[in-house]
Amino acid sequence: MPYLGSEDVVKELKKALCNPHIQADRLRYRNVIQRVIRYMTQGLDMSGVFMEMVKASATVDIVQKKLVYLYMCTYAPLKPDLALLAINTLCKDCSDPNPMVRGLALRSMCSLRMPGVQEYIQQPILNGLRDKASYVRRVAVLGCAKMHNLHGDSEVDGALVNELYSLLRDQDPIVVVNCLRSLEEILKQEGGIVINKPIAHHLLNRMSKLDQWGQAEVLNFLLRYQPRSEEELFDILNLLDSFLKSGSPGVVMGATKLFLILAKKFPHVQTDVLVRVKGPLLAACSSESRELCFVALCHVRQILHSLPGHFSSHYKKFFCSYSEPHYIKLQKVEVLCELVNDENVQQVLEELRGYCTDVSADFAQAAIFAIGGIARTYTDQCVQILTELLGLRQEHITTVVVQTFRDLVWLCPQCTEAVCQALPGCEENIQDSEGKQALIWLLGVHGERIPNAPYVLEDFVENVKSETFPAVKMELLTALMRLFLSRPAECQDMLGRLLYYCIEEEKDMAVRDRGLFYYRLLLVGIDEVKRILCSPKSDPTLGLLEDPAERPVNSWASDFNTLVPVYGKSRWATISKCQGAERCGPELPKTPSFTASGPLIPEENKERVQELPDSGALMLVPNLQLTADYFEKTWLSLKVAHQQVLPWQGEFHPDTLQMALQVVNIQTIAMSRAGARPWKAYLSAQDDTGCLFLTELLLTSENSEMQISVKQNETRTETLNSFISVLETVIGTIEEIKS
Amino acid sequence: MIGGLFIYNHKGEVLISRVYRDDIGRNAVDAFRVNVIHARQQVRSPVTNIARTSFFHVKRSNIWLAAVTKQNVNAAMVFEFLYKMCDVMAAYFGKISEENIKNNFVLIYERLDEILDFGYPQNSETGALKTFITQQGIKSQTKEEQSQITSQVTGQIGWRREGIKYRRNELFLDVLESVNLLMSPQGQVLSAHVSGRVVMKSYLSGMPECKFGMNDKIVIEKQGKGTADETSKSGKQSIAIDDCTFHQCVRLSKFDSERSISFIPPDGEFELMRYRTTKDIILPFRVIPLVREVGRTKLEVKVVIKSNFKPSLLAQKIEVRIPTPLNTSGVQVICMKGKAKYKASENAIVWKIKRMAGMKESQISAEIELLPTNDKKKWARPPISMNFEVPFAPSGLKVRYLKVFEPKLNYSDHDVIKWVRYIGRSGIYETRC
Repeated sequence: MPYLGSEDVVKELKKALCNPHIQADRLRYRNVIQRVIRYMTQGLDMSGVFMEMVKASATVDIVQKKLVYLYMCTYAPLKPDLALLAINTLCKDCSDPNPMVRGLALRSMCSLRMPGVQEYIQQPILNGLRDKASYVRRVAVLGCAKMHNLHGDSEVDGALVNELYSLLRDQDPIVVVNCLRSLEEILKQEGGIVINKPIAHHLLNRMSKLDQWGQAEVLNFLLRYQPRSEEELFDILNLLDSFLKSGSPGVVMGATKLFLILAKKFPHVQTDVLVRVKGPLLAACSSESRELCFVALCHVRQILHSLPGHFSSHYKKFFCSYSEPHYIKLQKVEVLCELVNDENVQQVLEELRGYCTDVSADFAQAAIFAIGGIARTYTDQCVQILTELLGLRQEHITTVVVQTFRDLVWLCPQCTEAVCQALPGCEENIQDSEGKQALIWLLGVHGERIPNAPYVLEDFVENVKSETFPAVKMELLTALMRLFLSRPAECQDMLGRLLYYCIEEEKDMAVRDRGLFYYRLLLVGIDEVKRILCSPKSDPTLGLLEDPAERPVNSWASDFNTLVPVYGKSRWATISKCQGAERCGPELPKTPSFTASGPLIPEENKERVQELPDSGALMLVPNLQLTADYFEKTWLSLKVAHQQVLPWQGEFHPDTLQMALQVVNIQTIAMSRAGARPWKAYLSAQDDTGCLFLTELLLTSENSEMQISVKQNETRTETLNSFISVLETVIGTIEEIKS
Repeated sequence: MIGGLFIYNHKGEVLISRVYRDDIGRNAVDAFRVNVIHARQQVRSPVTNIARTSFFHVKRSNIWLAAVTKQNVNAAMVFEFLYKMCDVMAAYFGKISEENIKNNFVLIYERLDEILDFGYPQNSETGALKTFITQQGIKSQTKEEQSQITSQVTGQIGWRREGIKYRRNELFLDVLESVNLLMSPQGQVLSAHVSGRVVMKSYLSGMPECKFGMNDKIVIEKQGKGTADETSKSGKQSIAIDDCTFHQCVRLSKFDSERSISFIPPDGEFELMRYRTTKDIILPFRVIPLVREVGRTKLEVKVVIKSNFKPSLLAQKIEVRIPTPLNTSGVQVICMKGKAKYKASENAIVWKIKRMAGMKESQISAEIELLPTNDKKKWARPPISMNFEVPFAPSGLKVRYLKVFEPKLNYSDHDVIKWVRYIGRSGIYETRC
């Protein structure tokens, strides 16, 4: 209803809000306002009654005020001119004797999110920072961050930042934490708030006074602090020790991360910490709060990557219970698969076997894959269990078992015999593409050990016309070719039929091409076929490569207690990659606009280049012509205006760099050949006012850094800074491409 | 940092929506509904990423609470925050249901305003929040109330305000435990643990200093050194606590050094500690299942339950749930005690007993008739689960003392009326058959 008749509703509410009788009756008035908010929540456009709502804000009723302010914060960006009317009331409220009213008004005013509001909020915020009630100070401190956010490109206000730094010593704990948050946002471009020794020690001393949110936040900020000496490091660790046993799992995780990072040079301390958080983590894993349990399990898996034996004695804690939600069960199965060792393998396998017949097909399949994973170490037991599972003759089980077998014989050739004996009969219970492919592959590669292999494949050849998956047909072609090599007499006839079908009747081009390819290969001669198709049948080294053990703790310590373990590393990489491109744009507002984007810059970076705002003052002139002589003369006559060192690893193509620089209108005058040490390049550029930038890039052999020296014929720091940031972006991009 | 908070009913209608940061748009509300609430398959993870935005959700009865963010945040913290939200809401209006949320909608918006600012968690203690939240409009506050706010907001202790007075100083201690069990058909304990909470409700004047003692093995052994024979004489059982965590008011340094639990409690109800034990658990009930397949169309089930605690105690609300195969056509049940019914919709026989004393035994037998099917799928035999409530702590935890000192006001430990109660409930209590 509300989604359709929105205009009528707005009209009706407008009338009600204007009605003097309703206005006189406080309760009725508030009820009408409540209705407005309710519709707003449902997604109805209520901006039509903005005027009336502004009027309603002039009241002594705090509840009504709160509701109206909530409304205004939502619609102010749509009606900036009307919202200015409300500012007056808000400003008045900011000097109310009641601290609650002051805080509320200030918070609302800062949340208005409309252009031009800064000039009105600046003074109230400054007053708020010095308010005697800490409630108002808390609001004012965060208000600073809001104000800065509103005006993305505004310069950082040094006085304000200093004031905030001094408020870090406030006696109210929430004010302190809010200060950290606020400074972090304001100084984002400079890399966030700097935690030096006095601040770090001050925060450490205040830790116990903070609530759990504050503690978690401060622990996160302390990650930036680098203790000067070993002694100081261990003092900090001792001080924070009790937080490893905090009541809040979030704080425990935060503390763990801090310990892992601070002690990155002391592996025994790291191991010790992980032993000590075992208890809290296990408690979280068996807690009733499902979601928290899920997060804890993700982190347990992360720890197991480095310390495979860490939870082995507690394996029973990871047995699934029937009523647990799906996502916890899947995580637990993964954990079980990773903590298995000689002592518990029997029990774990027994347990997993139980899951394989679970009603949920998903869960059953996950359990079978887990057994497959364990089979890489404990082959015999697992193959036996898997073989028994085939006896159940159920589609969803059989297909996964066969897939597991396929992976297993590739990694552990010793089990081939057992697998080959188990295979006959499976074909009746496999219907899906993945399962069929796996079975056909096995029959093709190990066909000489399976007596009825040709007959099974013959069935597939017979039904190839009704086969829906092209991938299965491709697999069938290859498998039959292979089997033909080992058992020619039984296969020749059907291979002919299959090739004929694929070449003459098949519609899928890939399959047809594969058929043609094999046909021509056969024409060349049987030796050539053998050379190409008889590849190795197994590769145990692949298993070793994949072996997760012995991954150092430091490789994931910085990801601990973030979303990375929850999503998984690879998935997070894709998410953050897109996010990075999105975020980097507005984050580099000082960079000038690029006039062209070359074909060289990969997709992701191109996006970034185009997203850069046009606010920069620097415009580099394209096609600047400068002779080498002139360059040399100017270079020698000028002083170095700026010198900087950028990190640089390994080899690269000078051509790539040259092209990239060309894109942003920086010309290369001269450059050493690739691989030369020391490597040098001279660059030149000119902006639209005629100011020249001459640059030298220097890469010496011993250190992994690129030194940049820039000279300028007119001294203007502003454009110099923009130029350098352009240069940094380009070099950064090249570095990214390389890695 | 949390970008927005949404509350939905089971149909996916938005009940509450509050956006804190600009990077979260209105479309985020719909994205969650379409991708999670209306999704066909079961929930894959409590954290969902849709269009580079992370949605953290928690479900309470049929209400969905979702926190949204674009940053790489600490997942544990966000979930804790959502739990806290639920606690705070429950403290104000009881059960979290669609009706309650709709009725208290103003209140929830007020709360959301105080509890989060710009996406950062602020004060979340229920007691402290009560001073800020005004469910009824207040014309202008009295002087006293105003000064209260100021003292609250400037006070050193975040969880208690000064100047609390009660005519009767009273405190209630609840030891609430949930016992979890997974037992094999042969009666072997696969895993068992008790997760417990000590909840305290205090109505004490001033700034009282409290000291809490229990039969923790480490403490008893420490004290027992001098008077070893005394403790053995009284036969006091002590328990080994695997791990425990406390409310932030407890001085952790003292606990680490002396293992004594001392604190200044918040006013009203709060959770003093949370603990977990895995050793020497008193399993209140034993379930002995016996399933026999008679031919292809009949199943005989016999289940015996034995209560294993003092005969003077009474267990309550006992419910045994025996799963039946999907192709069940009819069930005949005979039970000695209580009532048993076959519930076709839940595929289970539910056997309910109101009360049962300790050291007793009861039995149910059922004949299940099956429809012949050509489904080759074997019945997975889900475990038999049980629910109950017993008036003791299955972990064996006992409160030894709770002393109250208030040096400034003139009441002593003796004047405080104290109540202690133990409740043991079943968590996941399953026996495989």
